[in-house]
Amino acid sequence: MIMKTLTLLTTILTVFSNFVYAQNAKEILQKAIDLMYGKKTYSVITMTITKPAWSRTVSMKAWSIEPDYSIVYITEPARDKGSVTLKRKNEVWNWLPSVQKTIKIPPSMMLAAWMGSDFTNDDLVRQSSIVNDYRHSLLGKESFGGYECYKIELVPKPEAGVVWGKIITWITEKGYMQLKEEFYDEDGVLVRTMLGSKPKMFDGHLLPSYSEMIPHDKPGNKTSFETKELDFDVNISPEFFSIQNMSRIR
Amino acid sequence: MKYYFLFSWRNLWRNKRRTLLATSSIFFAVLLTVLFAALNYGQDDDTMRMSVSLSTGYLQIQEKGYWDERSLEKSFEVRDGVLGMVRSFPRITLANPRIESVALVSYGTETRISPVIGIDPETENRMTGLKKRIVKGSYLNDSSQGILIAEGLADRLHLSVGDSIVLFSQGYQGATAAEQLAIAGILHFPVPKMNDAMVYLSLPKAQTFFNANRRVTSIALMVDDPRKVHAVQSSLSQKLDPDLVLINWEEMLPEVVQAIQANDAGSLLTFGVFYVVIAFGVFGTIMMMTIERTREFGLLISLGMKRGRLFLVTTLEAVLISMVGAIAGLAVSIPVVFYFHHHPIHIWGDLAKAYESYGMEPIMSVNADASLFYSQTIIVFIIALIASLYPLFVIRKLRPVSALQGRNGKK
Repeated sequence: MIMKTLTLLTTILTVFSNFVYAQNAKEILQKAIDLMYGKKTYSVITMTITKPAWSRTVSMKAWSIEPDYSIVYITEPARDKGSVTLKRKNEVWNWLPSVQKTIKIPPSMMLAAWMGSDFTNDDLVRQSSIVNDYRHSLLGKESFGGYECYKIELVPKPEAGVVWGKIITWITEKGYMQLKEEFYDEDGVLVRTMLGSKPKMFDGHLLPSYSEMIPHDKPGNKTSFETKELDFDVNISPEFFSIQNMSRIR
Repeated sequence: MKYYFLFSWRNLWRNKRRTLLATSSIFFAVLLTVLFAALNYGQDDDTMRMSVSLSTGYLQIQEKGYWDERSLEKSFEVRDGVLGMVRSFPRITLANPRIESVALVSYGTETRISPVIGIDPETENRMTGLKKRIVKGSYLNDSSQGILIAEGLADRLHLSVGDSIVLFSQGYQGATAAEQLAIAGILHFPVPKMNDAMVYLSLPKAQTFFNANRRVTSIALMVDDPRKVHAVQSSLSQKLDPDLVLINWEEMLPEVVQAIQANDAGSLLTFGVFYVVIAFGVFGTIMMMTIERTREFGLLISLGMKRGRLFLVTTLEAVLISMVGAIAGLAVSIPVVFYFHHHPIHIWGDLAKAYESYGMEPIMSVNADASLFYSQTIIVFIIALIASLYPLFVIRKLRPVSALQGRNGKK
């Protein structure tokens, strides 16, 4: 009798604590997202694409209002200078200065690599929200990159149109920086890892200045980003992200 | 033994008409099956030759891993002398370098995604007959800056010769490839999938566009004899760089291999029906002969001839008839098949037009492989032999008295 009661109690407690944890996990994620969400930013970024046989560095300036709008202006290499990528909600447009033309990326090209990187056009515009489209559970606390982190597991809700089977993310206890994300496919195989490091103060916000994406299905491939400059509260509005403006920005 | 043979030989000549009848049924059976097989395998040859020459070639030199990834990252640099070496390699009749990728084709506000192929215009035309497909404008040459575009794609983008379109893609090592190009010609393809998509550039132009100087994604090879593809594949691959592979059409076009297998499976059924008809035809002839000879067999047995010896004599007769019939059939079918092998049958009418629209010669090829002759001859010979064993069965059950009374040897 006592055993039974105990078992029941434990079960109730487990369910309850899971519930509490779930709340916590969602809040933690929300705080991590809020670091950038809705902020009007200007940044200078250097992207390095590493392939087994070669590597390539692309420098760019970017303006964005997370998560819906961004515009990226390529400054280097010389061959690509002046190319502009505009993301507006779920559309991607390209401005090609050499032919003075704007092209909307058709759906069939959305899975093609962006600028030769390990990111696809689809990665740039994916609308799924890690807060609303997933169920979250706090797996515990773990130290990562010298920071005490929350380890949170995200499993997509059945109705969400999400490509991943599961995501595990590490978020720092202090500052809510996302330092690591592991993306698993439906079979539970680790497909890609995102790593964030070298936190810096940018315009009063502490954020990782270096991040890299490692696709595990392509050994020897890596795409990394180094944020050189990041300004908040720049004077832009959604109208800034227009097709006409693509050819004007410098 | 000699006497048995002599006995059988005389038996055969005793009733020439009967022998001729049996022999000719086997003769025609061999002729028929050999011709049918020659046509059937000829059709397979046509399917293979057409598919191969319109697309991949019999063999392709590629960078290792290209076929799985189909990416410019798996292109390779054509070193000096490589094309010359391959072109002068025994049995290779043509080496066609290409660079293939996909690009966005944009005109006005419309954008489509298309396969883009950089071709050596002269060699490509010799292999696939691309020049014939021009319906408007002109074909390319090595220094052409323009592009060729498939008719269906041109229609969708409302384009005609002289208009300029924008090609946008990702070049070698992630470089941006974007260029405005004028349309030199419009191509018509009978295959809708190609007619709605294909874009061609001259090879040098495509290499500049894709930022892939001197690189190609494949060199397609044609050989003079399709049966020697595997031999050429193994001898040539030893001469190539270790980073390159030589793969054959069977690996690149599994759907064609399947089509050929499906055709062969279908004709296997036809062959089966043929063999059954032949077996019954031969069996009918032999049965008639046996019934005709019941009295003779009865007489021989009553005179003291051992049944075993009679077995031997009739078996020898059967072997002789089958052999002569089969060899005669073979002897006649060889010149017939070889004549049609060298003078393929021309198709006419609507079917011919259909063939031509697919860029195929309207002919039915006839295969003249040695294996086809002996396999069919041996099969028919064995069928004939089995059917000819019927007399043994009769002789074993024969009762001399009733046989002599003309009651077919039954009780």
